[in-house]
Amino acid sequence: MAGAPRTVRAHDRAHEVEVRIAHFAFDPTWIEILVGDSVIWINNDLAPHTATAKDAAWDTGSIDRGDTRRITFEAPGEHPYFCAFHPHMKGSILVRSRSEG
Amino acid sequence: MKTLALAVVLAATAADSGARAEEPMNDLEIAHAAYTAGGLDIRYAHLALAVSENDAVRDFAQTMIRDHSAVNEAAGALVTELNVTPQDNALSQALVEGAAAKRAKLMTLDGAAFDCAYANNELGYHQLVNKTVAESFIPAVTVAPLKALLEDALVTFRAHEKHAAQMVAGLRCAD
Repeated sequence: MAGAPRTVRAHDRAHEVEVRIAHFAFDPTWIEILVGDSVIWINNDLAPHTATAKDAAWDTGSIDRGDTRRITFEAPGEHPYFCAFHPHMKGSILVRSRSEG
Repeated sequence: MKTLALAVVLAATAADSGARAEEPMNDLEIAHAAYTAGGLDIRYAHLALAVSENDAVRDFAQTMIRDHSAVNEAAGALVTELNVTPQDNALSQALVEGAAAKRAKLMTLDGAAFDCAYANNELGYHQLVNKTVAESFIPAVTVAPLKALLEDALVTFRAHEKHAAQMVAGLRCAD
């Protein structure tokens, strides 16, 4: 329909999602994004942390207090991850393709 | 409020040294004791890395060095910012003496005996430090930034206590 406004979804372009690290936990623990989106981890703890893929496909490296690290996800799939320094800290990212999102 | 009953704390922490103190601690003494406790755990960790060949023990020790260094760096930055000098005190001295005695015992061990002794010491040490920080230090300190730092540090130390408990369980030292 010519002239009709097109519905623009939030994910029509790449987005950044923040995951805060505090009290030795990732918050939110589980996130869902689309291909091309980025996740930014922000460490609010005194202790350094990492976000490290369980399958070792990606790793933020050490994130000191107040620092941030960004990872952009270019392929769909589930990405469970943990802190390499404190392995009880776990999170997961579900990356959907843009066609299914 | 600077009154702090230390008799109970010292009775436990300084069992090896026999040290006791009854005097109240001020903020600068609390800061010194907290910094000292962190430094001593770093020394335990370096000993573990020198002796142990167990991956879980070595990973824990690396974490202690990394985390306690971060906490102590934050404490050092706060001390600089506040332009104060932490004061040595009976508790710090008792901690140092007790740790020296414990390290001497640990250095006589190797293999699984060392791993279990180190792991159990780490669990007990963190339990005691965490109780002291939560129940004595944080309620007693009067300077807000120091109280905030201790509260943040306690989050880290409590994670260490859980990690140490997992390490002890994983080593199956009681078997």
